[in-house]
Amino acid sequence: MLKKILITGLILSVNLWVTGQETKTAVTSKQAKIIDEINLSATDIELFKEQTKQKVEEFQQYIVTLGSKDEPQEKRNMAEKEALKLFYKGAEMEITTILPDGMVQKVSRPMEKYLARLKSLPYTKVIIKFYDIAYIREFTKGPDGKYYSTATIIQEFTGFSNDDIIYTDITKKEVEIIVDIVEDKFYKEKRWKIFLGDIKATETRMSVS
Amino acid sequence: MSAPSFKKRVTRYFVPGILIFLISTPLFSQILTDSQKDRENIFIARIKQFNEFTDRFNHKSDFNGNPTDSAFRAAMPREKIITLLFDLKDPRIHPADSRYSADYFRMKEAFISDVIRNKFSLNKYSPDIIAEARTRVIYKGKPQQVRLFLIQEIVGNNSVKWVLNSAKGDILNIFKTDTSMVRFISPTSNETDFINLRRALEDTEHLQYYATQDFEPDLLTLFFYFIKSGIIKYEYVEEVVYHIIDIPGWYLKVKEFNRNELNSGWLITDIARNDYGINEFIRNLK
Repeated sequence: MLKKILITGLILSVNLWVTGQETKTAVTSKQAKIIDEINLSATDIELFKEQTKQKVEEFQQYIVTLGSKDEPQEKRNMAEKEALKLFYKGAEMEITTILPDGMVQKVSRPMEKYLARLKSLPYTKVIIKFYDIAYIREFTKGPDGKYYSTATIIQEFTGFSNDDIIYTDITKKEVEIIVDIVEDKFYKEKRWKIFLGDIKATETRMSVS
Repeated sequence: MSAPSFKKRVTRYFVPGILIFLISTPLFSQILTDSQKDRENIFIARIKQFNEFTDRFNHKSDFNGNPTDSAFRAAMPREKIITLLFDLKDPRIHPADSRYSADYFRMKEAFISDVIRNKFSLNKYSPDIIAEARTRVIYKGKPQQVRLFLIQEIVGNNSVKWVLNSAKGDILNIFKTDTSMVRFISPTSNETDFINLRRALEDTEHLQYYATQDFEPDLLTLFFYFIKSGIIKYEYVEEVVYHIIDIPGWYLKVKEFNRNELNSGWLITDIARNDYGINEFIRNLK
């Protein structure tokens, strides 16, 4: 895997272009070249998309552990710490809640606060049903040299108090993905690493009978 | 590379097959039953990101986000895909609805036909894609809306970023209109070292009348000043709407529809003829 990442890094450094061509007559060849250079190659995209899915799934698993009071405190603290490591510094969680009566609420919190709050929720057990599908857009280069993408996922969240369901929602999440070069101190090498960034979550709250 | 797993093959071919069937039926815009399978189908059909909107518009990707192949293109020709990018609940396209508009319906058909005939595609990094962020700010203790217009800027040929282009909002309209009297700085006031400038500048509600005929306040600068001085406090983006003038001769408005239906996500909510360039377009935007 490390070798794969290093090779990808090398490929990126020489700015390979993607082969897809825009068909619009109004797009000049100069514009098309720019578009090609902004995006990563198909091979890179596949590799990063796979890693993105893994990171997002990892994050979701940490949420399950964090939110379940039945789990040992030490394990939940560890999950909080590890979940934060997945994120780029300063990442925020913005939650839009669509209530059963159609009202919309919006709250934004730094990721640290979001995770800490999740840990204090009153659920003894949390179940997150993941849909085995995700949409990940292509990676686009930012002026800082990092590559950016967004993954859209959908999940069903159920919070239990003992055996009773006390909260359930269907959440759609848009997760910002950042591919940055980090220095591996052990190998003394630079390599690409995927981080999660801001998350826009849209919850459709279900009424609990 | 190893052969794709059975599960992957099912996702790649079978699911789109079902979707093509569902989408091709008149029931497309109706609510499905609420099983997880249906919700997954809705998720796949939903235009989840604006990026996906452009890829589908360009007939570049299928419902799973994979590149389109000949089988997909045969089952779902571009004309059909573009039709499905419209909000199918728009009453203006339903002849049985009292709000039906034959003009709008014809315009929609003309647009699709123009795009297909000229093989127009959207350049997803075009400066003619304007994102309007409808933001909530607090002004004098009360929530207000400021519309910020952002466009993409190519930096150094190989990277891209969104930049603020302009702003609009009632709280940025700092001048009042009053045509009951003529306001001006007198023609000979230069000889008195513009003593009457004091009177002009004390007329704070109508300062624009003392500026040149073509004076237009720069509302983005004003917004920056309000933020910097603490006059307004930024809260969050309430909604994003895209205005696309990248297709020659046309304007498209795209917004997100959060509904539990196949026809959901980022959809075309309005269309019109357009000949304006970006600045003129934003200036005239209601």
